[in-house]
Amino acid sequence: MICAGLDAGSRSIKALLFDTSRGQIVASALAAQGVEQERLAAGLFEKLLREAGLARRQISGVVATGYGRSAIRFADTTVTEITCHARGVHRLKPEARTIIEIGGQDSKVIVLEDGGRVRDFAMNDRCAAGTGRFLEMVAERLDMNWEKLAELARQSKNPSLVSSTCVVFAETEIIGLLAQGRPLPDVVAGVQNAIAARVAALAGRFIAPPVYFTGGVALLSGMARALEEALSCPIAVAPHPQFTGALGAALSASHVG
Amino acid sequence: MNDAPRKLNLDQWDARYEKLRRGGLREPAYGGPLRRHVEREQDFRLLQLQFDNSPAALRLWNFLLTENQRLRQARADGFKIVGAMKDLGTVPVMAYSLPGLRAFYPDGAWWTPCLMECSDRLLQQAEAMGIDASFCPVRAMLAAFENGEHFPRPDLLICSAGAICDDFSAIAQRLEHLGHPILWWEIPRRRHPDSDEIACPLPGGLSAPKIQVDCVRAELRRVAGALGELAGKTLDNDTLSAGIRAANQIRRRLDALRRAVYGAPASPLPALEMLVAEMLALHFCSDREETAAVLDALLEEVLSRLRRHRFIDTTAAARIFWVNPVADLRAMNLLEEAGGRVCGSDYMFTHALDLIPEDMPPLEALARAALADPMVGPTADRAGRIVRQCRAGRAEGLVVSRIPGASHCAREGEIILDVVRREIGIPAIEIEIPALSDPMRPGLATRLRALVETAQAGRAA
Repeated sequence: MICAGLDAGSRSIKALLFDTSRGQIVASALAAQGVEQERLAAGLFEKLLREAGLARRQISGVVATGYGRSAIRFADTTVTEITCHARGVHRLKPEARTIIEIGGQDSKVIVLEDGGRVRDFAMNDRCAAGTGRFLEMVAERLDMNWEKLAELARQSKNPSLVSSTCVVFAETEIIGLLAQGRPLPDVVAGVQNAIAARVAALAGRFIAPPVYFTGGVALLSGMARALEEALSCPIAVAPHPQFTGALGAALSASHVG
Repeated sequence: MNDAPRKLNLDQWDARYEKLRRGGLREPAYGGPLRRHVEREQDFRLLQLQFDNSPAALRLWNFLLTENQRLRQARADGFKIVGAMKDLGTVPVMAYSLPGLRAFYPDGAWWTPCLMECSDRLLQQAEAMGIDASFCPVRAMLAAFENGEHFPRPDLLICSAGAICDDFSAIAQRLEHLGHPILWWEIPRRRHPDSDEIACPLPGGLSAPKIQVDCVRAELRRVAGALGELAGKTLDNDTLSAGIRAANQIRRRLDALRRAVYGAPASPLPALEMLVAEMLALHFCSDREETAAVLDALLEEVLSRLRRHRFIDTTAAARIFWVNPVADLRAMNLLEEAGGRVCGSDYMFTHALDLIPEDMPPLEALARAALADPMVGPTADRAGRIVRQCRAGRAEGLVVSRIPGASHCAREGEIILDVVRREIGIPAIEIEIPALSDPMRPGLATRLRALVETAQAGRAA
């Protein structure tokens, strides 16, 4: 049985086909988010089917998740990204007990029971500090991409303290730090640490090892290390971190299909 | 009465009202179609809400939404108007013990920006008066006093001081400075009695040192004097005892309603109507006798639905305990749309739902009831009660709804979540709901839906 999961995040849409009988990901794809979410999701889904050599009727079920899930009306049903990330990560790493997901617009800490059921969760969706949007703002301000940001952060010897808890104020703070002559790598590493500190505050006393890191920001080299320092515990990046939500959605579809 | 329970939007209620009217619906003087509150009072938020379809719910809404008009009519009829502030459930019991007085909470204006979708501009006016968005939305009250477009100016204004929120205190002080004299009475922060102190039991299983009860009793005696002067009749023990018995009759009705609704296998009445009904405990929506009739009608409807096994949701709905009232009423609909139901509540005035002792001098009884206010004591006490209620209501999840800018709940949500997770182990979230939550709705819906999914997954496990 092949099921599809669509994760309509704030920055990108992810689609994934999962073969439940073989326990394998068949195909996955990603597209930048836009205004016409359903059209984008449908196009991505069709592309995925073509690449996998499958017809729509061969798909047993489609589940949408993510911030824009309700806009994807061709899905059979919707499931929240909390449940989907939990299912996705549990499938890939059954030993996981905590998931940290940092997406473009929010961040989440999800605590799992044995068997992968969500025991509890905390979510920050009120403010951009502690989300990928913070990094995007810095990348835009410094006119560089995420890869370059990560490379710079790795060069840091003495990360700056970025204390603002608001992205708008942090931008001013960053400009001030650069004006003071602080090395760029230290400022960028300081931004990573500031995001990690916000996520650590969100996590509170939630954290139980093993901890897996997922979401688009997990791809950024250095973020996992910043989280490890902020939370004082080992953090592993989940396999396919951008697709764990879509995988969880596809797994959910196997129940509804 | 025997129609299947449903939730209706305002358009659907228009049709439903016509059908009921043609069928001989009998309404009190404040009755009528809900639509008129949008057209005449600019209560635009009603266009976004889902309402219960029963005539009893229609009566509840009309009762709530006509309070300002009824207060103005009461004044025209010769009643004196008492504005009680902050105590939540104590001063109105005293005021309604006396003939010719009507008491209300100007604090209730905090819902006006939501109901009128900020077309009232109360929050902006409050900001112009020096009370900005860093304060609780109850700041709307300040502007409502000044523009006089909502409630009538009270003949006597009474406000508790001491163990109250910082922002409310600042707002009330600003109000007095603007020329609205206030009779202040002090309530100390409740503490547990020391080992060498005499302990007085309070409603809700709490206790306080006798010295604190004595202090509050003396303060309430002063309040009683002022109310008696306004009414032209002394508020003696017999009069006050009769008022307490009457207030307890309302509380008993609410207790019966809460037990029937929250204890049912599925919801016989939506969460929004239950929130409004529970609020009637505070000052009887300016009419104690009518409150009894409104609650009787609701209870009758609920019991009828239970007998017929008719519900507004199914047993699949996740049982959620809700903490704190919401600035945007739409949030209560949102929980049900996410697949949850309210199975218990602590809307910050649980002490106003407890019976006032009738076996002791009435001022002593009221002092003890006032000291049981969850907001004047340690958050741990409140959290303990919430845990007990969650257990009793078989809660599968908990929502703490935070009010933006409200200093009383800056930290208490976190404490309540910690205690609930530790003691019961159910999933718990804290959400912030401003007067108009529309821009935040996707995020709010996700959190509530995720809570419901987590609670339901726990049931399956």
